[in-house]
Amino acid sequence: MKILIGLINGMISGATPILLAALGGAYTYYAGVFNIAMEGMLLTGAFFAVLGSYYTGSWLIGVLLAILGALFLSLIFILFAVVLKTDEFVTGIALNLFAVGATTYMLRKIFSVKGVFSNPAIQPIPAIRLPLAENIPFVGEILSGQILMVWVAGLATILTYFLIFQTRFGLRLRAAGYNPARLDSSGVPSSRMRALSLLACGVLCGLGGSFLSLGYVNLFAENMSAGRGWISLAAIILVNGNPLGIALISLLFGFSDGLGLLLQGYRVPSQFTAMVPYIATLIALYFYAARKRRLNSA
Amino acid sequence: MRQKILNALIGIVVALLLGAVLLLLQGYDPLATYEALFRYSLFGYYPFATTLRNAVPLVLPGLSAAIAFASGVVNLGQPGQLVMGALFATVGGLYLDLPPALMIPVLALLSMLGGLLWAGVAALLRRFFDMSEFIVTLMLNMIADFFTAWAITEPFKDPAAFSPMTPQINPNGWLPKWGEFNTMILFMFAAVILAWFVFNRWKAGYEWRITGQNALFARLGGCNINRNFMAVMLMTGALAGLAGGLVVMGGPHRFIRGLGANYAWDGVMIAIVANNGLIATFLYGLFFSAIQTGALGMELITSVPNEISQVLQAVLVLVIVASREYLNTFVEQRAARRRAREART
Repeated sequence: MKILIGLINGMISGATPILLAALGGAYTYYAGVFNIAMEGMLLTGAFFAVLGSYYTGSWLIGVLLAILGALFLSLIFILFAVVLKTDEFVTGIALNLFAVGATTYMLRKIFSVKGVFSNPAIQPIPAIRLPLAENIPFVGEILSGQILMVWVAGLATILTYFLIFQTRFGLRLRAAGYNPARLDSSGVPSSRMRALSLLACGVLCGLGGSFLSLGYVNLFAENMSAGRGWISLAAIILVNGNPLGIALISLLFGFSDGLGLLLQGYRVPSQFTAMVPYIATLIALYFYAARKRRLNSA
Repeated sequence: MRQKILNALIGIVVALLLGAVLLLLQGYDPLATYEALFRYSLFGYYPFATTLRNAVPLVLPGLSAAIAFASGVVNLGQPGQLVMGALFATVGGLYLDLPPALMIPVLALLSMLGGLLWAGVAALLRRFFDMSEFIVTLMLNMIADFFTAWAITEPFKDPAAFSPMTPQINPNGWLPKWGEFNTMILFMFAAVILAWFVFNRWKAGYEWRITGQNALFARLGGCNINRNFMAVMLMTGALAGLAGGLVVMGGPHRFIRGLGANYAWDGVMIAIVANNGLIATFLYGLFFSAIQTGALGMELITSVPNEISQVLQAVLVLVIVASREYLNTFVEQRAARRRAREART
């Protein structure tokens, strides 16, 4: 029972940053932007969350700064890919490397450390205790005590689903990806929808990044996003951007994360357990490709 | 050609100006910083030799990415292929004992084999299961990272060392130095010339390029798309792997943690900046290497952290690429306007 609860909690905490980043990517996916900058946005968010939390002692300001930091990358993306019409792939790669360079540089410049910055003054995002649910066996142990951002991620999933499929904004967003020329001729500039989708992506990746650095660990490490942005991209592609599907896939990846931690208890070298989420992505990709092939041949 | 050079110059100047603004904002003197940056990378025998040598692990993955992208193959696995190549060369260097004239080529070939096999995994997954090589190579990068980290902490760890690293490889496999010039640059020159020749003069290279520009046309013209995809994937993997092997043989002579650094991603950026041109990749590789090499010296003199070079690189990439596409549109617009005028009269 204890193992199972640990596994589920590990799954949820592993899934949260991927889910938030992938939801952000879903907006750009529907708007027809080939956005691979989630990795850099997560990393920037993680850095600014620590920066804000450390200097103000308030996790809320940390989270807000994280959003602003990720939004800054969104603005650069908009400037180059939407306004100047630079290749989106190139912009994304350059932004990811910019994020690695800039956070490493600032880590060195502001905190005068290399590699990792951790300090007791960094305020973590609080966990939410649910006094009523706490007493229910099993379910209570999972529901209560989750970090606030986990609930935010859950809410964001529903909100994203609603926004994309039930509102005029969502319709226009999808139109921007489906047929931009038609949208333009109906009086809504498709470039505006693309820009808005990137801003949404920035906000969500900022939240995801703040969870990375202020969630379970209270520190910022160089390149701490560690490919999660890429995994979230894979998640989006696997379910064609559907937010509910993304939530499911993220939980799957989170589960493999938790499984990795569990395997460590059985003397599997930690490097191999760390590979599990990436191998899970490959397996998921295999099934995706197989299904697509079946659909094509049918 | 003239437009390309003009565009590169505009991009570099604008990027350096932007960098200068960044430096000014933080209270550094941009002129002194840039002066130190280029003094420690280009002007002088030793700095220039170091820049050339540091260019090797940038140019080779850059060539790999340029050939792949220009052939319509999204191989983003250079980081993984590089460390696998380095691991293969290291293991070969630990257990083989041959005279240097044999040892060095054997280790270089081993490193190419390592990169080739790792790229081959992605190629096979694409070939038989239709899995997009874009995500697969990215995931394989992470897996290769952890795998090599395990290899140097468990089976091949130097028992005398405190942190994860392998013992030094057999000195027969060390690349000799000529004065300050490390002979690894010879491999780079050879790779550039060979790759250029294969890509631009051979029938196979022609088929790859045509496939990259228009896969349907290439198939109708009788190219074997699948075979070409395999060939490009394996060849670009081998190029990236060679970079890893050379880093081991020319530098620390062992596999240390973080050996791959950011080399391969920088190489990918260089290929993108160079618009997948092989000679341009080589030249931009030298330029980026100059920035990285000079940054270390610059830090000593001006106390600007050398990580600024990474920021400067990303700014360079964005500005050069954006100005290229902007300039192209501008030139086309002017040409269209001129044609319109001529049509009217």
